[in-house]
Amino acid sequence: MHILPKGAVRAAALMLAAAITASPGQAHGVIGQRFFPATITTDDPFAADELALPTVSRFDHETDVEFDYSKTIFPGFAIEVGMGHVNIHAPGEPRARGFDNLEVSPSVELYRSPAHEFILTTGLEWEVGGTGSRSVAERSSTYTPTVKFGKGFGDLPDSLKYLRPLAVTGTVGYAMTGATSEPRSIEWAGAVEYSLLYLQNNVRDESFGRLVSHLTPLVEFRFSSPTDGSGTTGTINPGLIWSGKYIQLAAEAMIPVNRASGHGTGFIAQLHFYIDDLFPHSLGRPIFGGHK
Amino acid sequence: MNLRVLACALACLAAPASAHAFLDHAKPGAGTVLQVAPGSVMLLFSDDLQPESGVTILDSSGHSVGTGRVMITGNCIMAPLRRLGPGKYRVVWHAVSMDDHRTQGAYVFEVKP
Repeated sequence: MHILPKGAVRAAALMLAAAITASPGQAHGVIGQRFFPATITTDDPFAADELALPTVSRFDHETDVEFDYSKTIFPGFAIEVGMGHVNIHAPGEPRARGFDNLEVSPSVELYRSPAHEFILTTGLEWEVGGTGSRSVAERSSTYTPTVKFGKGFGDLPDSLKYLRPLAVTGTVGYAMTGATSEPRSIEWAGAVEYSLLYLQNNVRDESFGRLVSHLTPLVEFRFSSPTDGSGTTGTINPGLIWSGKYIQLAAEAMIPVNRASGHGTGFIAQLHFYIDDLFPHSLGRPIFGGHK
Repeated sequence: MNLRVLACALACLAAPASAHAFLDHAKPGAGTVLQVAPGSVMLLFSDDLQPESGVTILDSSGHSVGTGRVMITGNCIMAPLRRLGPGKYRVVWHAVSMDDHRTQGAYVFEVKP
């Protein structure tokens, strides 16, 4: 009995062979002396091999469970695919549940400055309309060209050395939906983070244990500003990320910025795998053109 | 045949993992102020290192104060120092983990008169 079509198995074997023979590429989230953990509300600016499974959120009568997998094709170029299950349970309305649309997001790192802990990336987020359940997913596709950046403040002078563990990341995108009834919008998001690992290793040894030194307190935010002037909505998410050797754990509160954004405080949590560290000689390498 | 391909794929995925080598502990540590000059700098990392890893210790005028012998064993880098006078010293390290991932860092410690 064939579980998979023969062609699919051959293609998978070829891809695997290519992945095995490729060399390691850029490291996940590392630039200069800075390690940027993968943020959970906003896309980080690194084209890397990583897996977020699951990301669970509960906010404004909606519970989502998602996965995202990012694969480097060339060093500095990755394609991310993601999908999630949505459960909407608004009071007084019938419950709606099902899979959301598939999202495909290629991204390219344009510029890296290790000395200034800076990275600039561009990409396209494509929500593939009609791939999800009719009850919860749009039938039309949405395309969002996006610019992302990350900047660590390790280059601050000695007089500001306690601000060196600070870093910011951000994304700005322009969402164009195929549905004429939906307005276009500017999607903007970011994170302000303070790395205890950076503080411990580069500024002042505070004798933190391994558990504490791998923590990054942060505040993320994510906003959507429709171009028809109907008002910005979004959340501000304070939380913590713990970065281990192969995985990271993150949890954040979700606080709506206004009434139109939702009611009550929600939460989002994620288990994240560093595929480039877990499988450095196979899945964790770019398929083509990696170099030592 | 298909089972063989699958078994090969699983065997590759099960290869032993390695990871980025991040600095776990340093002696003297970042920002430390010492009354007695240290005889060496020791850096312990979260993963084993390749011999391409290294450390340089510089005085405030940018001259190396190492003896030139840097020892790398497992996840440890040790650099003996010449006799240090009072002043600030900068430790600049780079680490290459067993899976070729590179990390780097720098920090300052001080020896008081």
